[in-house]
Formats: sequence, structure tokens, C-alpha cells
Amino acid sequence: MRMRRDLSGGLASLAVVGAAFAGLLAYVVVVRDGDWALFFQLSVNGLTLGSVYALIALGYSMVYGILKLLNFAHGDVYMVGAFVGYGVLTLFGGPLDPTLPVWLLVVVMLVVAMLTTGGLGMLIERFAYRPLRDAPRIAPLISALGVSFFLQNSALLLLGADFRDYNPFDLIGLEGIDLGPVFVSRIRIIAIATAIALMIVLTLLVTRTRIGKAMRATSFDREAAMMMGIDTDRVIATTFFIGSALAGAAGVMFGLVFSQIFHFMGFLAGLKGFTAAVVGGIGSIPGAMLGGLLVGLTEAYATGYLSGNWSDLMVFSLLVVVMLFRPTGLLGTPAIQKV
Amino acid sequence: MQMKRFVALALAASALVVAGLAYGANRGETGSAAKAAPKGSAASLINCGTRVRIGLAAPITGPAASLGQQQLSWGRYFVTRWNRFHRLKVTIVQGDTQLPDTAAALRVANQFAGNAQILGVVGPAGSQEVVVSSPPLRSRGVAFVSGSATRTTLTRESVRRGFFFRVVPPDAIQAQSVANYMTRTLRARSVFIIDDQETYSVGLSDEVQRILRSRGVTVERDSVSQQTTDFSSTVAKIGSGVDVVYIPWQISSRAQLFGQQMREQGKRATLFGSDGLFDPDNFKIAGAYVSFFPVARTSPLITQYRNTHGGDPDYFGAPTYAATQVVVNAVDRACRDGRATRAEVRAQVRRTDIAARQSVLGLRIRFDANGDIRGGRFGIFRIAANGAYNPVG
Repeated sequence: MRMRRDLSGGLASLAVVGAAFAGLLAYVVVVRDGDWALFFQLSVNGLTLGSVYALIALGYSMVYGILKLLNFAHGDVYMVGAFVGYGVLTLFGGPLDPTLPVWLLVVVMLVVAMLTTGGLGMLIERFAYRPLRDAPRIAPLISALGVSFFLQNSALLLLGADFRDYNPFDLIGLEGIDLGPVFVSRIRIIAIATAIALMIVLTLLVTRTRIGKAMRATSFDREAAMMMGIDTDRVIATTFFIGSALAGAAGVMFGLVFSQIFHFMGFLAGLKGFTAAVVGGIGSIPGAMLGGLLVGLTEAYATGYLSGNWSDLMVFSLLVVVMLFRPTGLLGTPAIQKV
Repeated sequence: MQMKRFVALALAASALVVAGLAYGANRGETGSAAKAAPKGSAASLINCGTRVRIGLAAPITGPAASLGQQQLSWGRYFVTRWNRFHRLKVTIVQGDTQLPDTAAALRVANQFAGNAQILGVVGPAGSQEVVVSSPPLRSRGVAFVSGSATRTTLTRESVRRGFFFRVVPPDAIQAQSVANYMTRTLRARSVFIIDDQETYSVGLSDEVQRILRSRGVTVERDSVSQQTTDFSSTVAKIGSGVDVVYIPWQISSRAQLFGQQMREQGKRATLFGSDGLFDPDNFKIAGAYVSFFPVARTSPLITQYRNTHGGDPDYFGAPTYAATQVVVNAVDRACRDGRATRAEVRAQVRRTDIAARQSVLGLRIRFDANGDIRGGRFGIFRIAANGAYNPVG
């Protein structure tokens, strides 16, 4: 009965999203005289941005799903990932004179950033959250904010306030695929493809592996999972590793597409990633992906059809509307409290 | 029980410490207030001795650091030369305004205003920084001379009159030069203007837009945030009929990114920047234009600077040399009797008259009643394929 209600709620939400999209198409036809070139270009831009948000949202969602904790340091882990990627890029000659083939360099940047941020996530969990696991819920939340400030200011002290430039146009070039009305650069293809690949791997990991099953069990009922012999500490640490690694990958992708990184970049991106997780339904992996893409597309359409001034307003309005009509998010399910 | 007692004792000890500190702080404040004018007020008398201090507010770190470093470098260059030949030595107190973070600019202004030893200030760099810095600097009577803030209204608003001066011409003149070049030389019929939502950028955009529209040019307008690095959706809006895209921004690396994203989407319109983007190290989109305030590029001063700074002329920072020259000369004159107040320094700044041959700007430095330099003008530069900035107008 509950499943049917959830399903119908989810379908209703998707129907609303579909109706909004149909409205947008009608706007393009009627008001914009069928300017499909702009529409498709904005869609590509939105999907690129949405891919980054989706990867960040996944980390938020996974941690919330398993610990019911809003990990506000997650945006700063993403920032660290961007800087690690930049460090690797510089180590191998920089964008103008790379000492490795470009494709290999990009892979190395992604892998090193993911491993580093994954490790950082585990450290954060071990020292900032695990000691507070049985404390009131406000305690780890405040601890998360503290870790966020710690990471931001550490980056400021160690690396300075200057912007660092991935310079992807020299590294990867401006070439791409010309689809007539729309041009998709190689950089954007790499970003979108990487995000999709990571999301597929994550889905397979969660649904088809032992650790995935353990994660789902821990998320469903931690105490019961523990009694069934699951090492929940290890599962939680692994969840932090995976979520943070995805944020690290998002940081590198952001640098590759949007070029400039700085110590404070995690704040707004983290906020958007969190919005995406909540819009999609926090705790739900497909929800995080959908939320990320919706937030990215909303931002792109708002900038393209209204103005850059409106993009954040529209994104956070989307959050408010979704919360008003479906507080669990588009694909989220209400938590059942045992009484 | 023992724990509770320990916590209670710790709380009591903390309360005592806080009370003691508060008492000490209040005592210090009332003590100095009773003796004379508040520290750092316009009337506070400073013994000049053989060394005086001036403040230099610039974005030394942050996204506009490439410009701030030039300003700091040129300011130091003047002081080094000055200290070599004068008995009264000058020390620069640096303030990092981290443009576009106006909170940092306000912090710097408060620090300078509250430091009674600082007799005058060079900077700040950005117009929005001037706006937020004005109340603290004015309230403590400090003269501040900017080498790059160009928003027209800065000197027209009476609130800063007599306190704020600048050695670069206002945007009203810049807007005229830019619009003239777009319509007369580039023959632009359609211009897309994108401001960065900051005081300087919006003001300049408004003025250029007004002039272009009065000449029958089609003008579209949009805004981006200085915090963003994704301009792709704004770029997508630039239609094929647009001749010129005008971006009067302050962060050159963002403008470079914008130009690259234009190329990425195959947009052919000519990119045109303002003085805030005159940065050959970071803004090097071939075929783009920038406007720039007056600098005597053949002056021996520039040559000497170039020779002592690795061959780089750092043109953007050159007016800060002039601003430092104005402040230091004023302090020197105010200190002739061995003591000076900030009010005296302000009066001396107003009376500035530096001959063209001593000026890195290539023109005589004098201020009108509003604090604007007399006879200032803007030039136009085109960026060549090798990144060189060539004067074209």
C-alpha cells in the first residue's frame, strides 16, 4: 500500500516536471519564435553543470541516507578535489606543456583527486562525526560546519586567495561536435560522459555488490544491520569514501569545464548540490542524479531566457516549490518513525 | 558532582577574565578620550619625525590580485625612489582588499582609519571599494587617492568631497571614448553589454548604453556575477547579428574565460573590455579591445620601472605611482613644521600640482573641486595575436 503511494507520488512529481518542461517548449515556440539553437545550447550547458551538481548531490544523499546527517563540509571536499586535480596537472607540466598524453593526464587527475578526497572524507568521518554518533543530532551538524570552515581556511592559508586556472582550452582544445544548431565541445563531452559513467558505477556498486547491500541495510536500520553481523563503522567509512570521491571528481570536472578554482568555491556549489539532493529526494541515489540535472538545467534556462541575475533565484525557487508540494523530494520516500 | 563543580569554577574564571578585559578596554578608551581628540581623528597631531606612514589599499590577493600586485609594486617603486632622496622617509602599510570582496575592503578602511599613524591612503582600487571605504575614512578625516576607481558618481556625490581624489579620469570620459570607437571605427550597429553587477561595471555600462542608444545603435543588456565562472548560457544568448560584446569588468581572468567560452560556441562578435581588464598577463583574447586611462608609455619612469621589474611595465599599476606621489608630497608639505594632522594632509592633497614631466601619466596632476584630475582622457588598445596591447585610438 505504502509502496503504491510512493510510486504514485513519484510519478505525480515527474508529471509536474514534465509539464514544466512542456511549458518551456511552448515558450520557445511561441515567444522565442522556435529558436531551437539557443534551447539546445542551453540544454547542453545545463546538462554539463547539472552533471557536476549531481555528483556533489550524490555525496550528500549517500551520507544522509546512512547517517541522517547533513554533511555541510561536503562542498569543501569538492573544493579540495579541484585543487588536488590542479596540483596533478601542474606536476605533469601544466596545461601548456603536459608531459603525459592529455587523456591519460585527465584520468590521473580524476583518480588522484578521487582517492585523496575519499581519504579526506574517511578522516572527516573518523574524527569529526564518529565521536558524535550518539550525540544529539545538532552536534554533528555543528561539527560539519566547523569542518567546512576548517577546510576553507586551510586552503586559504596554504594556497592563498588567488584563483588557479586549469586552462582547459589549452589543455584539451576548443574542438568538439558540431550538431548543426548546437556545438558540444570535447571538454563538455568528457564532463558529461564521466559523470554518467560514475553514476552507473555507483548504481551497480550499491545494487549489485556485498558492500552495496551492507550500505542499504545500514541505511534501512543501523542497529538491525549491526546485529546481523555487518560492521557498520566500516560501511559508514566506505560511504564517506565513495561520496567524497565523487565530490573530488566533480571538483576536477568543474576545473576542466569552467577553468578557475578558488578556496571559497565549495560554498555555493555545495549549496547547489545540497539543493539538488533535496529536490531529488535526499537519501535517494536516482533522486540526487535527477535533482542535479534539474538544478543545472534550471540555472542554464534562467540565465539564457531571463538573465544571469535570475539564475540563483530560480534554482532556490525550485527548491521551495518542491518542498511545498512534495517535502520528501521528487523521488524521496517519507521516513517511517517507529513509536 | 566533581565535574559540575569544575564546570562552575571554569565558568566563574572565564567571567572574571571577560569582565577584566572589558574593564581594561573601557578604561583605555576613556583614558585616551579624556586626554585629547580620539586616536586617528582628523585633528590628531602626529609627530612626523623622520618616518611617516601611509596606507595602500589594493587587491593584493584574490581574483584581481594581478592588478593589485601591479599597484602595490608601483606604489613601492615611488616610495623607494622618494626615500633615496628625502630626509622624511615613508613606510607603506599594506591593506589587502581582495576585490570583489567589499567586506575585506571595509576591514582595511577601518584598520587604516583607526591607525593614527597613517596620514593618508593610496587606493582603494575598485569603485565599489571606494563606496564602502568612504564612511570610515571620512569619519577619521583621511584623504584617499585612488589610481583606478573610475565610476563617475564617486566624485559627484558630496559625501566624499574633500576626502576622495583620483588620478584617473571618470567613466563619463571612458564611456565617451568607448562609444566613439565602437560607432566611428568599428561601425557597430548592434552591441551586447554585460555588466558584472558591481558599482563600477553597472555605472560604466549604463553610460555606454545611453550614448550608444542615442546614436541609434541596438543595445542588448545582461548581467553576470563576478563569482561565476560559467558564462556559457550568457554566451549562448549572443546572436549572430551582434557586432560588439562589451564587458566592463574588473577581473581579467574571468574576461579571458568569457572570451574562450565565446570561441567555444563559435561566436564571432568583437570583444571589448574596459580599463579593469587592461591586464596583458591574464586577458589576451586576440582581436579584443580594451580602453585604458592615460599612462606616458614612453616616459623614462616607465623605462626605469621596466628595467628594475623584470621587463614588465605593469601599466595598470602606473597611476598608483601618481596616487602615491600625490599622498607622499602632501604628507611632506604637511610635515614641514615637524607635525601634521590628517586635515592638513587633506588640504595639501587638494593643492596638488605636479608637472607633466614628473608625472607618469604624461599630464599635469591637479584636481578640480570634486577631486577629479583635470584634463584626463582614455585610450583604446587592441590585443594582437601574440597578446601584445597595441594603441589604436
